[in-house]
Amino acid sequence: MSTTDLDNAAAPPAARRFTVPVSLARYGAALRTPRGMIAAGILLALTAIALLAPVIFPQGYDVQSRDRFLGMSTQHLFGTDEYGRDIFVRTVYGLRTDLALVAIAVPVSGVIGSLLGLSGAVWPRFGNLMQRVFDVIIGFPSFILALCVVVVMGVGFASTVVAITILGLPGFGRLARSGALEQQNREYVVAARTLGVSRRRILTRHIVPNTADPLIVHGAIFAVNAVFIESGLGILGLGVQPPQPSLGSLLNVGMRYVREAPTYPVGPILVLLLLALALSMLSDSLNERVNRR
Amino acid sequence: MMTTSESTDTPAAADRPARIPDPRPGSRNLLDVRDLRVSFPTPRGVVEAVNGVSFSLEQGRILGIVGESGSGKSVTARAVMRMLREPGRVDGGSVTLDGRDVLAVPEKEMRGLRGGEVAMVFQDPQAALNPVMKVGDQIAEALRVHGVPKAAARDRALELFRQVGIPDVERTIDQYPHEFSGGMRQRVVIAIALANKPRLLIADEPTTALDVTIQAQILELLVELRNDLGVAIVMITHDMGVVAELCDDLVVMYGGRVVESGSVKDVFAEQRHPYTKALLTAVPRADAGGDQLVAIPGSPPNPADLPPGCSFAPRCPVARPSCSEAVPPLEELAPDHRAACFVSAEGGDLSMPPAVQARHRAARAAEGEPVLSVENLRTNVSRQRSLIGRIQPVYAVDGLSLEVRPGETLGLVGESGCGKSTLSRTIVGINEVSAGTITVDGRDVTRMTGADRQHVANTIQYIFQDPYASLNPRRTIGQSMDEALEMTGVTGSAARSRAAELMDTVGLAEGHLARYPHEFSGGQRQRVGIARALAKEPKLLICDEPVSALDVSIQAQIINLLEELRERLTIGLLFIAHDLSVVRHLSDRVAVMYLGRIVETGTVQEVYDDPQHPYTKSLLSATPEPVVDDQGRQRIVLTGDMPSPANPPSGCRFRTRCPIGPLFREGREVCEQEVPELTLTPVGQTAACHFPGELTEGAPA
Amino acid sequence: MLRYLVHKIPSVLGVTVVASMVAFALPRLAPGDPAVALVEGDADPATIEALRAEMGLDLPLWEQYLRWVGNLLQGDLGNSYLLNRPVSQLIGARMESTIELTVAATLLMIVVGLVFGILGGSRLTPWARTAVDAWNTFFIAVPAYLVGLLLILFFGIYNRVLPVSGEVAVLDDPNFGLQYLILPALALSLPAAATVSRLVQTSMLTNRGEDFVDLAVSKGVSPRRITTRHVARNSLGTAAVVVGLRIGDLLAGSLLIELIFARNGLGSLAVGAVQQRDYLLVQVLILFAVVIAILAQLASEITLAALDPRIRLG
Repeated sequence: MSTTDLDNAAAPPAARRFTVPVSLARYGAALRTPRGMIAAGILLALTAIALLAPVIFPQGYDVQSRDRFLGMSTQHLFGTDEYGRDIFVRTVYGLRTDLALVAIAVPVSGVIGSLLGLSGAVWPRFGNLMQRVFDVIIGFPSFILALCVVVVMGVGFASTVVAITILGLPGFGRLARSGALEQQNREYVVAARTLGVSRRRILTRHIVPNTADPLIVHGAIFAVNAVFIESGLGILGLGVQPPQPSLGSLLNVGMRYVREAPTYPVGPILVLLLLALALSMLSDSLNERVNRR
Repeated sequence: MMTTSESTDTPAAADRPARIPDPRPGSRNLLDVRDLRVSFPTPRGVVEAVNGVSFSLEQGRILGIVGESGSGKSVTARAVMRMLREPGRVDGGSVTLDGRDVLAVPEKEMRGLRGGEVAMVFQDPQAALNPVMKVGDQIAEALRVHGVPKAAARDRALELFRQVGIPDVERTIDQYPHEFSGGMRQRVVIAIALANKPRLLIADEPTTALDVTIQAQILELLVELRNDLGVAIVMITHDMGVVAELCDDLVVMYGGRVVESGSVKDVFAEQRHPYTKALLTAVPRADAGGDQLVAIPGSPPNPADLPPGCSFAPRCPVARPSCSEAVPPLEELAPDHRAACFVSAEGGDLSMPPAVQARHRAARAAEGEPVLSVENLRTNVSRQRSLIGRIQPVYAVDGLSLEVRPGETLGLVGESGCGKSTLSRTIVGINEVSAGTITVDGRDVTRMTGADRQHVANTIQYIFQDPYASLNPRRTIGQSMDEALEMTGVTGSAARSRAAELMDTVGLAEGHLARYPHEFSGGQRQRVGIARALAKEPKLLICDEPVSALDVSIQAQIINLLEELRERLTIGLLFIAHDLSVVRHLSDRVAVMYLGRIVETGTVQEVYDDPQHPYTKSLLSATPEPVVDDQGRQRIVLTGDMPSPANPPSGCRFRTRCPIGPLFREGREVCEQEVPELTLTPVGQTAACHFPGELTEGAPA
Repeated sequence: MLRYLVHKIPSVLGVTVVASMVAFALPRLAPGDPAVALVEGDADPATIEALRAEMGLDLPLWEQYLRWVGNLLQGDLGNSYLLNRPVSQLIGARMESTIELTVAATLLMIVVGLVFGILGGSRLTPWARTAVDAWNTFFIAVPAYLVGLLLILFFGIYNRVLPVSGEVAVLDDPNFGLQYLILPALALSLPAAATVSRLVQTSMLTNRGEDFVDLAVSKGVSPRRITTRHVARNSLGTAAVVVGLRIGDLLAGSLLIELIFARNGLGSLAVGAVQQRDYLLVQVLILFAVVIAILAQLASEITLAALDPRIRLG
C-alpha cells in the first residue's frame, strides 16, 4: 500500500456528518449581506402589516366619511380620498392585494414555466416547440400581452393573475431548459449515466436540484415585475376593480384627483417604491451569492 | 524568413543601441529580483503568495521558473511587470531591470517599460487577444502607444508576423483572432510582445494550453528569438521537460519561496533540494519504461495556510523535526547553485526511499475474449443543419477499430481534437454510433438499448479528467458512493461498509464519506472518482486524461494507484491521454490516433522504440524529456495544425503535415489519392502509412 | 453576415405570423359575440346577422384570418365600428405623438444608458461608484409610470416648472413641443436606461478581468485607452442587444406614460379600445406593437453582428 495512504495525512473527525449543504449556506449568506438584511427586513414588515390588516383595521377599507381630500396628518397618515376614506387603510389593503397577487402568480408561473422548460430538456421536440412559444411571448412587449389577456378575460383580479403568470413563463421556462441542458452535459450527470442510473433518477437527483437556484433567484426578480404589472394595469384602470383597492388602482384614482389632493398618490407611491426596492435588493443579493459558481 | 534585430526600420528601434548578447560571463544582470514579497489581503486574512524570492537573469539567457499551482511563480512574474491582480501588493524587496528600480518608477514611466523593455506572453492565447480587434491592429497598438507612427507600425507588424512564422501575412494581418488556430494565436501574442524589441520576455506557461506538436513549434520559435534577437526570457512552467529543453537557468519555487536555483545543467545533474529531486522522479518518461514512480505524498500547500518552517517539510521524505521550526535560507551549496534545505546544507543524503515494489509487470500476452471490441466505428458529432435542413455530418471518430482484453492496458494517444474523447464517450453510450459495431464482454451493444446500457454500465466504468466536475457539488461523497452501489444492488448497511472499504482501497478514510466535493484536493477527488467507478466492480476502466488536470506531484499518486488496482483486481484499462510519457508508463499496448483514425498500434516497446508512422515519430520527438544532454538533439517539428474533422484531407489524413509526405517529397501523389490501411510492418506493430519506417530522427521538417 | 441574417429569417417570420394569429384570435376568444357587443341595447336578430355578415363573422375561421391578413397587407386596416372610422385614420391621427415620445425616449435611453454604463465600468472613486450604483439600483427597481408619477408630482404639481398634461407637436413648435415632451420621455427612458447601463457595467467589469486586458497592460497601453479600445468596445455588443430588447418595452410603456401625461397617442387609443372592447382596433394596435418590437430586435442583432466579428464572420 505504498500509494494509498499518502493523501490523507489528516483523517477527518467523525463529527463532520452534518455539514451544511452548500446551497442553503449560500442563501443564508445572501440574507446576511447588508442589502439582503435591509430587503428582508422591509419585506417582513410589509408582509406582517398586510397580513394583519383585518386585525389592525377591522372596519375594512370602505369606511366613508365627509372628510374628503384631507391632507396627511397623524389621524389620517396618508390623508383621505374622494369618499373620505382613509388612504392609509386603503393602501394597507391594497398592499394585501398586491402581495396576494405576487404570492399566487409568481409561484404558479414559476412552477408551470419550470416544468415546461424541464420537459423541454427531456423531450427535445417538445423543447423546440416550447422555445418557439416562448419566443412569441417574448416578442410581445410585456404590457401588450397583458392587454391581450384583459381583452379576452375582462378586467379584474383573475385576469391580472393570468397575465402575470403568462408573462413569467418564458423567463422560468428558458432558464429551466438551459439550466437542465447545461446540467446534462456536466460530467457528474455523465458519470451517473455511465453508472447506469435511470433517466428519471438523474433528473430528480442531479439535474433538478442543481437547476433550482437560478430559478429561485429569478423568482425574486420576477416578483418585482409582477408588482409592476399589477400597478401598471391598475393605473390604466384595467386591473383590480373598485372598491377593492390595489396599489395600482389607488395610483389611478390618486392621479385623477392630484390637483384637489396633492398628497393623495404619495402614500401608495411610497409603499410601492418600498416594496419594489426591497424585492429588487433581495434579488440582487441572492443573485450575487447564490448564482455565483 | 528571419529578420534580425539589426534591421532598424522603426524609429523606436533606431535610437536604441543594437542588442547583441553580451559575450562576457558574469556581466551585469538584466533582471535582478531581491527578496520580493507579495501578499493578497482578503477578508479571510492575508495570503502571502511570494515570501522573499530572489533570482537574477543575464542578457540573452532563458530562465525557467518551475512550480506547481500556488507556488507563487506567476505572481512573481506579474510583480516584475507591476501587473499584480487586485488586491495584490508588494510588501518588500526590489526588482531591478537594467539598473532601474522597477518598483519605484512612476506608473507613467512604467507604461513605457511595459511593452518597451519587458513584454509578456500569456498561457491562453485565445483569451489574451481582443476578439473584436484585428490582429494587425493589436500589434500596431503595441507600437503606437510607444510612439511609432501609423504607417511604420503597420510595416513593422507585417515584419513581426513574418518573424514569428505566420504564413500569408498580407492577408492574415487583417483577420480577427478567432480565425487563427491556437498555435498561430500564440505566435500573434509573441509578435505583440516582440513589437518594440524588448530586452526581456516573460512567458507564463506559454505552451500549457497547446498540443505537444504545437508546443514544439513555439519552443523552437522562442529559442530562435533568443538566438537572433538576444532577448532574455523568463519561462514559467510546471514541466521539467520544457525546462531541460529550453532553459539555461532554473529557479524552483514551492510555497511562495525559492527552494533551489542554479544552471539547468547543474540542477539536473544533482538536485540539492528534496522537492526538486522528487519532482524529477515523480514524472514518468516517454523515453524509458522505468520503475514504479516515487510519488510525493500529500498535495501542494495552500498559500493562505502555509505550514511553519520549510513548506515542503510535511511532504518531505528526509525532513527532520527542526525543518518545521525554521525556514531554511537559500544558500549557495555549490558554485552558482543554491538550495534552501537544512538537510542538504549539512551534506545530508537526499535520496528518496526506493520504490516499494519493483515493477514485475511483463507485457501481458493478449489472452481471453476481449472485454471491449470496437470495429470500424464512426461517430458523428455534428448537429449543424444546412440551409435545406440536412444534418452535415462531422465524424470525430471515423472508421476506428480496437480491442481491450481482460487485465490488459491499452493506451490511446492523440492530440486534442483527434477524437479520443468522442471514442470513449461513444463506447459508454453518451454519443450515438453512426456506423460500425461495439462489442462489450461478448455482447453487441451498438444499438444501446436499455438492456445494452445496463450491460455496458456493469462491465465498463469511466474515470474523468476533471474529478471536480464529475462529482455532484450538492451531494456528499457518501451519497455519490451510495448511488453507485445502489446500481449494483448493494444497499443499507452493506452499502455503508462497502463504501468504507472502497474508500480504503483508494487511500481515503471512511470519514471522508460525509464531506462535500469542494472540501477535497484535486488528487483526493480523483481518488473518489476511482472509488465510485470501482463500486460497480467493472472489468474495464476507461480513463480519459485522468491526471492531466492534476499538479505534477499528484499525478504520480494517481498513476501508482491505477497501476496497483489493475494488478490487484485484474481490471482492463483503456487509458486515454495526450501525454506520451504517462501512456508509456502504464500501457501494455498503445494506439496512436490522428483525426479520427488509428495511425499506429502495437506493443509499447514496439511503438516507442521504433515508431513506424511519421506522426508517432514526430510526437515522440516533440515531447520534451527532463534530460539535459538532450538539448542539442534535432527535433522533428511538424508544421501547421491538425485539420478539422468537418473537412478531412483526401487520402492519408496526415499528409498535410507529414514531413515525408507530398509537401516535402516529390512524387508522393499516392498519399493524396489512397487511404493507407493499418498493415503489419516488418518491426512488429501495425501502421497506416504508405511509407512506414521511413522517417528517422533529424529528417528535414 | 448575410448567412447569419438568413438564418434569422425563419424565426422572425414565425413570431410575426403567430403574433398575427394571436391578434386575430383575441376577439373570438373574448366572451360574447363581437357583433352583439357592437350594437347598443337590444337589437333584432336580423340586424345582428347583417352586421355579422358585414364583418365576415359567418365565414370559416381560416378564411376570416386570410381575409384579415390579406387586407392588412394591402393597407386596409379595417373599420372601427365603435368610432365608426377607418382604423388607419385613427392610427394615423395618433401616430405622430407616439413616435415623438418613443424616438425621444429611445435616444435618451441609449445616451443615458451608455454614459452611466461606461462610467460604471470605468475606474471610479468609491463615491462616484456608489452614486452610479445607487442611480442604477433605483431606476431598475422603479417602473416608468412610477417615475412619471414622481416627475409629475415634483415638476408639475409641487413646483410648476414644466407642463405635465397634454402636448404640442415638436415639429410644429419645437420650443413648446420639447417642453411637453421632456418629462414623459425622461420617465419612459430612465428605467430602461438603467437596465442598459447595469448590463454594460457588468459586461465591462467582466471584460476587465479578461486576459486581453492584461495583454494590453503589458503592451504599455494607457488606462484610458484600455477602457475605451478594449473594455468598452467589447461591451458594445451587449449594449446593442439590450437596447433592441428594450425598444419594444418602451413602446408598450408609452401606453401608460401617454395616459399619465394625458398625451393623445396610440397608447390612450389602445386603452380606450380595450375598455370599450373595440376589438378591431385593439387587434391592429397589438400587431403593430409586436411588429415594431420584432424589427427593433432584428436591428439590434444586425448591430451586434456588425460589432462582433465572431458573429459576422463565424
